[in-house]
Amino acid sequence: MTRERALILVALLAILGALAWTAWPHETTAAERVDRITSELRCVTCQGLSVKDSPAASARQMRDLVVQRVAEGRTDEEIRGEFRASYGDWVLLSPPASSWTGLIWLVPLVALAAGLAVVIGRMRAPVPSTAAPSPRELAALRERVAREEALDLPQPDGAE
Amino acid sequence: MPQWLRVSIVIGIAALVVVLMLSFRRDPHDIRTGTVNKPAAAFTADRLDGTGTLSLSDYAGKVVVLNFFASWCPPCKEENPALVRVWERYRTSDVVFIGIVYQDATDKARAYVTANGVTWPTIRDDDGRVAFAYGVFGPPETYFIGPDGIIAGRHIGPIDEATLVASIDKLRAQASR
Repeated sequence: MTRERALILVALLAILGALAWTAWPHETTAAERVDRITSELRCVTCQGLSVKDSPAASARQMRDLVVQRVAEGRTDEEIRGEFRASYGDWVLLSPPASSWTGLIWLVPLVALAAGLAVVIGRMRAPVPSTAAPSPRELAALRERVAREEALDLPQPDGAE
Repeated sequence: MPQWLRVSIVIGIAALVVVLMLSFRRDPHDIRTGTVNKPAAAFTADRLDGTGTLSLSDYAGKVVVLNFFASWCPPCKEENPALVRVWERYRTSDVVFIGIVYQDATDKARAYVTANGVTWPTIRDDDGRVAFAYGVFGPPETYFIGPDGIIAGRHIGPIDEATLVASIDKLRAQASR
């Protein structure tokens, strides 16, 4: 039993150690930077895939260019900027919120706000009263019924 | 529904319709994004025929037509007769054509230019750097560079003789002013 507990303790410590190691801030390697940048860039020939995920020749060439720029000491923003200069914001899989493409992020929020406005408007609308009529209203209703009965309106054919 | 919300929805739909109408009216061969109206990216690359290198700067002050092509690209073969005719028309003037091989084997590209009468200077772009610098999506694409070194226009897909001549003459007219 003691041995089993020791094994469980060792396993827990190993898991905690692994979590701490991965969460500990560390210097980003060149390979990690290349992976991050290429995962943000759109493959120009296959369009639906990132440069990192695409097997196309042009994606491979783009990745080679990113590798070279990282080795040259360019910043991530400079490398992204080089592709944006040629292909525009289209080449970024996530359009930047700062340019006019930020509308892509803004429109859903506006639509949500409009929907909330409609819901709140409906909730605030006056609800028909279900309270019992006052004696005065009851008297008015009885008088109206009596008046309409007194009119003796013609009945439809077959009605009794 | 509040009045202001109804008005907002109508305005939003109307704006969307206007944007779509304007988008449908655009020429899909002429995408004015990225590099158009900006200085043409400088490059030096190996000539396809193996006779040394070619630099864009060698043709400063001239009208330059850059054509990205590949032997495996049927639309490139489709547009080639127009390129050949227009090249013959302007080859003794201040107009330069430069062919840029796009993702193709050198021997296949050489066979292509020989078989299709491509006599203008042609370069290899084995690592795709020239194509990336110009924002090429795929062949054929044609860029028109003015004597001032600015990219004046871009044509995506097979180009015809009339478009080539009109684009070149427009740049030559600007240069002569």
